[in-house]
Amino acid sequence: MKKQYALPLFLAAVLIVVFAAVAGSGRNASDLPAPPAIGTVIDDFTLPDADGAAHSLASLKGKNGTVVIFIATKCPVSNAYNDRMEKLAEDYKAKGVSVVGINANNTEPAAEVKAHAAEKGLKFTILKDDGNKIADRLGATRTPEAYVLDTKGKLVYHGRIDDAQKIESVTSSDLRNALDEMLAGKAVSKTGGAAFGCTIKRVS
Amino acid sequence: MIMRLCTSIQFASVVILGLVSVAVLAQEKTSTARAPITPVIRNSHPGDGIDVTDYGDDVREINLDDLKKMLQRDGKDTRPLLLNFWATWCDPCREEFPDLVKLDADYRDKGLNFIAISLDDVTDIKSAVPKFLNEMKAKMPVVLLNVNDPEPAIKAVDATWDGQLPATFLYDKDGKIVFKHFGRIQPAELRTAIDKQVGAKQ
Repeated sequence: MKKQYALPLFLAAVLIVVFAAVAGSGRNASDLPAPPAIGTVIDDFTLPDADGAAHSLASLKGKNGTVVIFIATKCPVSNAYNDRMEKLAEDYKAKGVSVVGINANNTEPAAEVKAHAAEKGLKFTILKDDGNKIADRLGATRTPEAYVLDTKGKLVYHGRIDDAQKIESVTSSDLRNALDEMLAGKAVSKTGGAAFGCTIKRVS
Repeated sequence: MIMRLCTSIQFASVVILGLVSVAVLAQEKTSTARAPITPVIRNSHPGDGIDVTDYGDDVREINLDDLKKMLQRDGKDTRPLLLNFWATWCDPCREEFPDLVKLDADYRDKGLNFIAISLDDVTDIKSAVPKFLNEMKAKMPVVLLNVNDPEPAIKAVDATWDGQLPATFLYDKDGKIVFKHFGRIQPAELRTAIDKQVGAKQ
């Protein structure tokens, strides 16, 4: 007698679990941690590069400051910035600022990150943030999204690279302006600039 | 009694399984079927905040002022409004679009206004954007937001939004945001929020 409803009960249980899993996947705006406030010292972290070699942020930081940019292989907005990011890395290397890329998309494995960087000529270090732990810690939501840390690891800028996906339409180079102000020993006058970008594909 | 209980459990399971297979089949149908590219006349409502009644299959270009006007609702309309910011180059936007088309069909007659706002490049306004919409058999009004600096547009919508796509906002009758979601929507969650606004489950 009991066996008769064992199977239906089991199926119902499976369905409930499936529904719960489907309903729980993806994360809403309110679930994401808020980004650290400007002025917060960012604790050191360690992530592997696309070859699996671990790097601490401290080991990658520039003498005069560090730029961290969340990037993607497939996002057309991030890709529109490849040349600008590489140029920025080259221009500011001479000024003692290093650029570190982070790929936090769970849809883009390390091998893809490596192939993409080679194809697009990105020579700055790109770290793979599996499980988006660092994206969570920094409250990063989209690609591209930039952070600037001063010599003490203090966050002085968080926002867009500039105001236009098409390089010929750029009127405000926010990230470069922030770096120039920081290097001149001034407070960064404008931070938090928003721009359309691709949502970081987080693990559910 | 036990017999009756287990029959009803069996019956319920069969019904649930049936519903699930129908849902799965329906989903497969929409994702595999590619509609021929034929003009679709999009629905609109005067209270959408912008005049969208006369542009049929076209996607209208709007600027920052138009967007602000749309958000202000100018007091004439008393319908809840759903805005979805998307682009044809955005994979999760494309993935969620069939759900939005279905949602539009289900709720427009129940009193929901829905406008999809494309962030595609303006050079795609007569090509990639309408092509995708026709494939999706989309009937909601669609506008393309063309702004030089995205910051004022993004912040005019929501101070907590940094521009990540897709982004979906539900406004109540008074124009207040009552629900928002960044990234691919969860249709059930969004429908629950809409139900509260259109009064279907009150």
